[in-house]
Amino acid sequence: MKRLLGVALGVLTAIGGFVDIGDLVTNAVVGSRFGLSLVWVVATGVVGICVFANMSGRVAAASGRATFEVIRERLGPRAGLANLAASFLINLMTVTAELGGIALALQLASSVQYLLWVPVAVVAVWLVIWRVRFSIMENVTGLLGLTLIVFAVALFLLKPDWGSLGAQVLAPSIPEQETAASYWYYAVALFGAAMTPYEVFFFSSGAVEEGWSIKDLAQSRINVLVGFPLGGLLSVSIAACAAVVLLPAGIAVTSLSQVILPVAEAAGKVGLAFVLVGIVAATFGAALETTLSSGYTLAQFFGWSWGKFRRPAQAARFHLSMIICLLIGGAVLATGVDPVLVTEYSVVFSAIALPLTYLPILIVANDPQYMGEHVNGRPVNMVAMIYLVIILAASLAAIPLMIVTGAGS
Amino acid sequence: MKTARQPKYLRTPGRTLDAQLHLLDRQVLDVDGVPVTTVDDIEISAPPPETPIPAGTPAPTLTALLTGPVLGTRIFGGRPPSSRLIRIPWRDVADVGVVIRLGVRGEPLDADWVERWIRDKIIARIPGGRHDPR
Amino acid sequence: MILGDVLGTPVHDPAGLRLGRVADARFTMNGPPGQLLADARLLGLIVSPHSASSFLGYERTGLARPWPIAHLLRWRHRGSFLVLWADIDTIGTDTVRLREGFTAYSPALNDTGNE
Repeated sequence: MKRLLGVALGVLTAIGGFVDIGDLVTNAVVGSRFGLSLVWVVATGVVGICVFANMSGRVAAASGRATFEVIRERLGPRAGLANLAASFLINLMTVTAELGGIALALQLASSVQYLLWVPVAVVAVWLVIWRVRFSIMENVTGLLGLTLIVFAVALFLLKPDWGSLGAQVLAPSIPEQETAASYWYYAVALFGAAMTPYEVFFFSSGAVEEGWSIKDLAQSRINVLVGFPLGGLLSVSIAACAAVVLLPAGIAVTSLSQVILPVAEAAGKVGLAFVLVGIVAATFGAALETTLSSGYTLAQFFGWSWGKFRRPAQAARFHLSMIICLLIGGAVLATGVDPVLVTEYSVVFSAIALPLTYLPILIVANDPQYMGEHVNGRPVNMVAMIYLVIILAASLAAIPLMIVTGAGS
Repeated sequence: MKTARQPKYLRTPGRTLDAQLHLLDRQVLDVDGVPVTTVDDIEISAPPPETPIPAGTPAPTLTALLTGPVLGTRIFGGRPPSSRLIRIPWRDVADVGVVIRLGVRGEPLDADWVERWIRDKIIARIPGGRHDPR
Repeated sequence: MILGDVLGTPVHDPAGLRLGRVADARFTMNGPPGQLLADARLLGLIVSPHSASSFLGYERTGLARPWPIAHLLRWRHRGSFLVLWADIDTIGTDTVRLREGFTAYSPALNDTGNE
């Protein structure tokens, strides 16, 4: 039972990966335009992130080394620096978006102007990173973020035509009013969102924060197998709600209020309360995850002392870099930019960071100097190699598709 | 030049270390396990460059691990002035494995000065900076 | 001397033929122990005819998995060899020149490594 409760790291990582502010809106957009014909992409992404997050967790438990340290050692400084630059920009853009997301959700809940919430979000995120213990942070945000299950509940309450939903999932087709290019653009975007590098950076660094060792390998696996499929399920529920309510009515999703419309319709005020708590918690959790990721990647590349398990005075550069990231995020939002738009453009940098992140993980997971006897088995290697090809294809297609479709519009 | 289709293997006594494979870009931890830096480059006791080396000259030794602006020059070319290099002398290294462990504490080392500076000027000034999270 | 200056430098034989580039430097620790570790003496340089980047060391450690990557990297570093300090004539900024009659040894790190 204790093992089952100790899945907070996996759940929190998945929240940042599958239901952060960018995904919340993208899932609803996808549902309202394509129905459930892209669910197979989410499923593929879930399997992929499970395979690689498990590998990176195993590397961290067996050798004590988190993923970005491994990346520089294996790729060398040039490619490592390219990955750092791309990952850092992704993190920074996502932090900005999440801070905006927290503010948007709080505006929905309180009718207080969005820009006034931004500094509150910045300070709140910083305070948690500065003072709250890692385990408390992951348990509280993970648990509260799970209230997004209300989307699945709402789906049942809406009494949809399960047969037609099932048909969309199992026999996907491109709807008439959409082009093949935009279909594949969203396919690549959803896949990239499921496998965003900061998920493995956060998960493996979190493994080191929690002090996982060889005897925690089973714990690591449970975290992965519970957290990411759950994240995928939440993702699909949001899309399904949009497919059932927004698609037939031809409502285009342009703001957070449309994302929660189906829940309000199905479950009334109670549902609305749950979903607002869930969105605030999920965007807050994602903000924590990406801010910490920026700190982790910089510190691990340059060899700085890092970790929430250390006194801030013993990890000075780590904390300073995160403070700077939060300040930049807040400043960018103060200019009035739309936070969701920011995440759409981080897809570009994901295209660079994806292959440069997953190749070194696969290599190190096979190295007995790191893993001892816990190197990858043959089946894992085969699946991982297949995914490397898919990742490479997605990263090459991302930018052309983005240009051709105008970022999906 | 004598070379076979499969060049012959040279047995060497003692432990072998390849710079790129085992030393460069590795994390350096101090004696307490606290990260100090990554290895950005390596300093060897120099033979004079461009001049022919007389036969029988003893092999150079590895004198120090380097960090600092030398990472930029390793990637982009050029070389930083010798005074800007931060050295960790080889005699401080206790073990080379997945990470490089020193036998001394990180704090008094040159390699730690940026961390110390930021700690003293910024982090320690914010309330709670010295609070132990455990 | 800084190692970063030497890595990647083209290597020529005494007749001026280009053999490749310096991919790595090998040290041995077989002297009397210092305070903590023995002195690390330069044993020689690893020369690779095709690529100066030492990417992941697959060609030396005998690590064979995952096999497509191991295969690819071994192929990329085929023909790599180790040349001893005694066989090095000059180390310069543009070239490393080897002595007459130098021997090219296998770059493997132990005798279970092939090539």
